[in-house]
Amino acid sequence: MYQYQPVDQLLVDQRVAQFRDQTRRFLNGQLSEDDFRTLRLQNGLYIQRHAPMLRIAVPYGMLASRQLRTLAYIARKWDRGYGHFSTRQNMQFNWPKLEDVPDILAELAKVQMHSIQTSGNDIRNTTTDQFAGVAPDEIVNPLVWCELIRQWSTFHPEFAFLPRKFKIAVSGAVTDRAAVGVHDIGLQAVEQDGEIGFRVWAGGGLGRTPLVGQLINPYVPWQHLLTYLQAILRVYNLHGRRDNKFKARIKILVKELTPQVFAEEVEREWQHLKDGPETVTAERIQAIAERFTATPYAADPGPDTSAQHAGNDPRFARWLRRNTHHHKVHGYAAVTLSLKRTGVPPGDITADQMDAVADLADRYSFGEMRVSHEQNLVFTDVARSQLYELWKELDQLGLATPNIGFLTNIIACPGGDFCALANAVSIPVAEAIQRRFDDLDYLHEIGELDLNISGCINSCGHHHVGHIGILGVDKAGEEWYQVTLGGRQSGAAKPLPDIESMRGAGAAIGRVIGPSFAREEVADVVATLVETYIDLRDSDAERFIDVVERVGIDPFKTRVYAERQQAKAAQVEAAHV
Amino acid sequence: MSESQQAATLIRHRNLEVDTWKRFEPTETRPLPADDEDWLVPLSVWRSARAELRGRRRPVGVLLGPADDPAELAEEGRIDPTGLALIAVDFPIYTDGRGYSIAYLLRTRLGWQGELRAVGDVMIDTVHYQARSGFDSFAIKPGHDPEQALRAFGTFTAAYQQSYPVPAARQG
Repeated sequence: MYQYQPVDQLLVDQRVAQFRDQTRRFLNGQLSEDDFRTLRLQNGLYIQRHAPMLRIAVPYGMLASRQLRTLAYIARKWDRGYGHFSTRQNMQFNWPKLEDVPDILAELAKVQMHSIQTSGNDIRNTTTDQFAGVAPDEIVNPLVWCELIRQWSTFHPEFAFLPRKFKIAVSGAVTDRAAVGVHDIGLQAVEQDGEIGFRVWAGGGLGRTPLVGQLINPYVPWQHLLTYLQAILRVYNLHGRRDNKFKARIKILVKELTPQVFAEEVEREWQHLKDGPETVTAERIQAIAERFTATPYAADPGPDTSAQHAGNDPRFARWLRRNTHHHKVHGYAAVTLSLKRTGVPPGDITADQMDAVADLADRYSFGEMRVSHEQNLVFTDVARSQLYELWKELDQLGLATPNIGFLTNIIACPGGDFCALANAVSIPVAEAIQRRFDDLDYLHEIGELDLNISGCINSCGHHHVGHIGILGVDKAGEEWYQVTLGGRQSGAAKPLPDIESMRGAGAAIGRVIGPSFAREEVADVVATLVETYIDLRDSDAERFIDVVERVGIDPFKTRVYAERQQAKAAQVEAAHV
Repeated sequence: MSESQQAATLIRHRNLEVDTWKRFEPTETRPLPADDEDWLVPLSVWRSARAELRGRRRPVGVLLGPADDPAELAEEGRIDPTGLALIAVDFPIYTDGRGYSIAYLLRTRLGWQGELRAVGDVMIDTVHYQARSGFDSFAIKPGHDPEQALRAFGTFTAAYQQSYPVPAARQG
């Protein structure tokens, strides 16, 4: 866990005072609605369908048990007893009162938390791999670099009013779990001649115009990371479009200039900044690294009895296979707590669960956890000897659904039930799909499959990068759902000729299969897609996404619309009997 | 700004002053302002009549819009301060952040050490960032208490970014 240095606390406290004053002026009529809007957004405060929504930063997804207890306290005192983890590894409260927000921020500041730049056209929370720091395949620990970027981007005086929001992701591992290909800037750590640097992707993003990032620099040595970011941001701040908010993201600038010209502009700007005052020193990195508490792993974490328990308990065996992950330290595992139980909105957690999870984190994971961008929680450091005990406790809390990597581990935005922007609901659709696939044996047979749902084209549910993506659209005031196939956040191995232009950093944007569907059809469509996959796969080892890449979307499309035709015909016939 | 509009209050050297500066809009019949008052002229006017304007009794200021390239003020890479009273950067709306980059470039790359003024939608809530980006003069928009704007320079007393100074709290 990162421990604040005095300047971190000072700035967070001063921000609370600033926002308290801004709120007071707004409520007194001294600050107009227009003047207040961006100021509150820079503190994560939206005006939503039912009430304001407050988004609290969980920097790079890292959360301590005492912080989770504070979130539970806030949920009880100022909200309705629950919170929602977002795909940006943050927490959202849907029911606070505007006048309470300064007090909420003051409470957060006591546990080194804040809501700085969780919205607005500024540099947002830098995200990373949920297994950062413990993954066995790590080149560097990305947390240190994320913290460096957090500091650099916090209250950056030049980049607080960008054309649009700006999201940075860092991957420190060989396997990208941070989705660097779909961020405004994606940084992938690489090693070259024994020195660490970053491969820089720019112009990726979802939303209305989904694009994968373009490689603009194959290797920026670590010393130059901040000056290089500064160069990108300055080019964007000065030249990004401000005339149309739908064309204001950096992806449009990269596309309109072409990646090559954009990279040249950045390079030209960088030549002025390189080796300047923002150059990163080894001392600075060392100082940040030392502020992360070292996990006191046991020399002997006890015998790993998990296989034995798995032999006796098939429910545990399933969970062990799906929800535990390799760890760099022998005898330890990372564990995912599924917030994707059927009937619970994806990413939601109650205050009581928060308190219980905080206690479990203290007992099983050195008081630390992570929020994953898939909207789950991760205990990063669990002794394998304790996995069975932990599972039993999680099972009691309803947090042991063994579905990580499976179709029911749905990423979904809050959707039309809460969000003023949404065209359609997301949560009831997620639930309908989860109910349809409630047979765990069948889920295991299907294997890995990412299914993501967004209630509108803002794409907060990342539907573009779901193997199956579902998007709520509005047709003449009614809710309809568009289905995409073949999206992925990372790991695309080989470029396919027909979608080469849609790839970058291993990410791919899904393609629409055809006309949209009514809400009650969606679960059936997903079922047909899955059946088609099972018929087409050459073995269990060939995953859904592999089959889509091998055969394309046509066989899926043909079958989905043929069955829809049949179903309609059957309905008509039934009506005539 | 026409004289009939409510004048902004100016913060210069952390003191409040009445803003006497007016924006000059050239017309065909009146390409240059008279040499009698405090005028801010557009970049295009400055560029076309630089030599003449430099010789004035009351030096003009140049007003840059957010889309202007500040490098166009420079000759051989630097801005010659002779006969130039100040450079003003317009924020037509406070959410347009280009002026921050323009200020940074004027200060760090184009050698401007004279007065640099933020004008337009300049608020209590923006002066801190503007000061850090290189502005030392602020035309506070009507409706925002200039006294409170003065205090707002001290909103944050520390910063992470090495190349943007933290403004000193109120002096005197």
